[in-house]
Amino acid sequence: MNLFSPESWYWLYDIPQFRLSLLFIGVFVGFYWAGSILLRPILRQFVKATAGSNDIVGYVLSCFCVFYGLLLGLIAVTAYQNVAEAGANVTREAAALSALYEDVSRYPEPHRQNLRWLLRDYTRYVIKYAWPLQQRGIIPEEGTIRAAAFYDQLLDFQPQTPAEQILHAEVLRQLNQFLEARQMRLFSVKASLPDSMWYVMILGAILNIAICWLFDMRFITQLLLGGILAAYLGTMMHLIFDMNQPFRGDVSISAEPFEALYKRMEDE
Amino acid sequence: MSGIPGGGLSRRDALRRAAATTLAAARALSPALFAGCSLGIPPRAKTVDVGLLHSQTGPLAISATSLRDIELHAFEKINAAGGLLGRQIVAHAPDTRSQTPLFPKRARQLLDQGAVAVFGCWTSTSRKAVLPIVEAANKLLFYPVQYEGNESSPCVVYGGMVPNQQILPALDWLASADGGLKKKIFLLGSDYLYPRTANFIVRKYLAEKSLKPVGTAYVPLGDRDFAGVVRQIRESGADCVLSTVNGDSNIGLFAALAEAKVDPATLPVVSTSIAEDELRSLPPRQVQGHYAASCYFQSLDTPANRGWVDGFRREFGHDRVTGDPLEPAWCLVHLWKQAVEQAGSFETEAVRQVFREGLEFAGPGGTVRLDPKTQHTTKFCRIGRIRGDRQFEIVHPSPTPIDPEPYPEFAFPGWSVDWTKGGITRGAEVDIDGDV
Repeated sequence: MNLFSPESWYWLYDIPQFRLSLLFIGVFVGFYWAGSILLRPILRQFVKATAGSNDIVGYVLSCFCVFYGLLLGLIAVTAYQNVAEAGANVTREAAALSALYEDVSRYPEPHRQNLRWLLRDYTRYVIKYAWPLQQRGIIPEEGTIRAAAFYDQLLDFQPQTPAEQILHAEVLRQLNQFLEARQMRLFSVKASLPDSMWYVMILGAILNIAICWLFDMRFITQLLLGGILAAYLGTMMHLIFDMNQPFRGDVSISAEPFEALYKRMEDE
Repeated sequence: MSGIPGGGLSRRDALRRAAATTLAAARALSPALFAGCSLGIPPRAKTVDVGLLHSQTGPLAISATSLRDIELHAFEKINAAGGLLGRQIVAHAPDTRSQTPLFPKRARQLLDQGAVAVFGCWTSTSRKAVLPIVEAANKLLFYPVQYEGNESSPCVVYGGMVPNQQILPALDWLASADGGLKKKIFLLGSDYLYPRTANFIVRKYLAEKSLKPVGTAYVPLGDRDFAGVVRQIRESGADCVLSTVNGDSNIGLFAALAEAKVDPATLPVVSTSIAEDELRSLPPRQVQGHYAASCYFQSLDTPANRGWVDGFRREFGHDRVTGDPLEPAWCLVHLWKQAVEQAGSFETEAVRQVFREGLEFAGPGGTVRLDPKTQHTTKFCRIGRIRGDRQFEIVHPSPTPIDPEPYPEFAFPGWSVDWTKGGITRGAEVDIDGDV
């Protein structure tokens, strides 16, 4: 297992939200407490002799927290934007699909029926097969075949009247929008924060915790106050981790727009 | 409680207490938080891969796409019932785009990815292209479409009809009073292996009865220009057409027949490759009154069939239709399932061993039996007249299932197959395009 490869950590997305949150907090607090027991006595040697060492450490920690807090905040916003953008693409794709379904319902038979069931088939595939694959970080490929089958069938239709020509042109325009949104969804499957951001975040968290080890105070107080800080760091990391992959974990995009559309298609 | 002067805890005591408290908390909370020491991760189901080899785009998509769907439906049902040998079946369905060279390529990819069996192919040309791949890998291909016979491989399970189960009974029916005593038969087909071999068998069969076809014509697969062919049919004086035209060429054929005002009452077309799915793309006024020979029609009025059709439509939409070869494809998946369960293994040799003992499955079209000698299935032959609602009225069902004969003696003298006793016995080479 390559610990530096993001894929090595994907199993974490399979853990239910609440438990994963406890795991993150547990790891950060555990790391802080373990360091307090094992490393603090050594690190304290460097500042022990300095008068007002707590003030100095407190000042350094404040400065550090400003930079680190800003970084975490910006990264959290970026991760959220990724999720929101992927969600918007999913909604856009489902909306374009819905519009296509309505438009081809105006085609003459047998094109109407054939085109409608190809779209229904595509929607079913997205819900039943594509989504579970996306949730495992795999780009589903067979939807492309279904989209191509629809395209083929659409090009089989030769408009005979001006009204049909207008409708056909509109359907082709709508199809392009659908294909574009679909491609964006597929790109989002692998979208995540760059590795370098994770390195900076993790290093920042370690340094943040390490600075806390330098404080001179009662041991219990040290464990308690540092533990609170570590717990919050863990929570932030968990939040960013959860939003890192738009289709993975509990804070992920659901297939709801497609499910609602498929239900409507079936009801018709 | 030990302490230090001044009332504070010593570092050692604090550590001891913290450790004791942490351990106690962990002990109390861990069963609730991390039940089963699994972090709550649901166990990932074991899977087994199978391949579906169907054309989902191109001229054959009109027919083959539904095969993919019925097979997916069958696997979904098996998975919902707990899977096969404790594994969930994962079906991979790449597109072969109606291009023969893509079939072996995709088959190889599927087998390389670990597929234990492949379901699919439509044309005989595609099946023959895939054959060396499955034979080299010693895997099983389940082929659900009617074909010309004259082939047998231990790596293929043939679920469709061979000529003695479809075309020859259709000819007998045409020659009967019920069929209109038709004896001037025009043979029309797409230009590839199945129609040419099937027509060779027909010519041989007619020759046995001192008859011969009044004309023969082939059109390239996918071609839709049939005006010349219809003229040829008219000029031949035929009183019926036996059509082995495949895929969406049928759209052109029936449009040309309607354009030439051919009356199905006097010049019916009996198709071997038209089912309910193809009728979706054919205007009813063009095809109504013509016939198809098949092992199964959706209109078959039995409880088993009604339940099956309802299940398929519930899953894929109420405007979807079943037909031949969807029914054989469904039966093949379940025959494979039975064989794997009986063998307790996905290994080809173990599964094939079960085939040798014979298998039966109660399909929607009636019970099918896998013949251990030929690895073909028994079939009912049903003749259906096309109705205005894109369905068939069954006008002639065979009373019992017909055993498969991949090498009819009159067409392939000396040839036979018996996989329980060593395989194929070869006779003299036969030229299917030669004189009969």
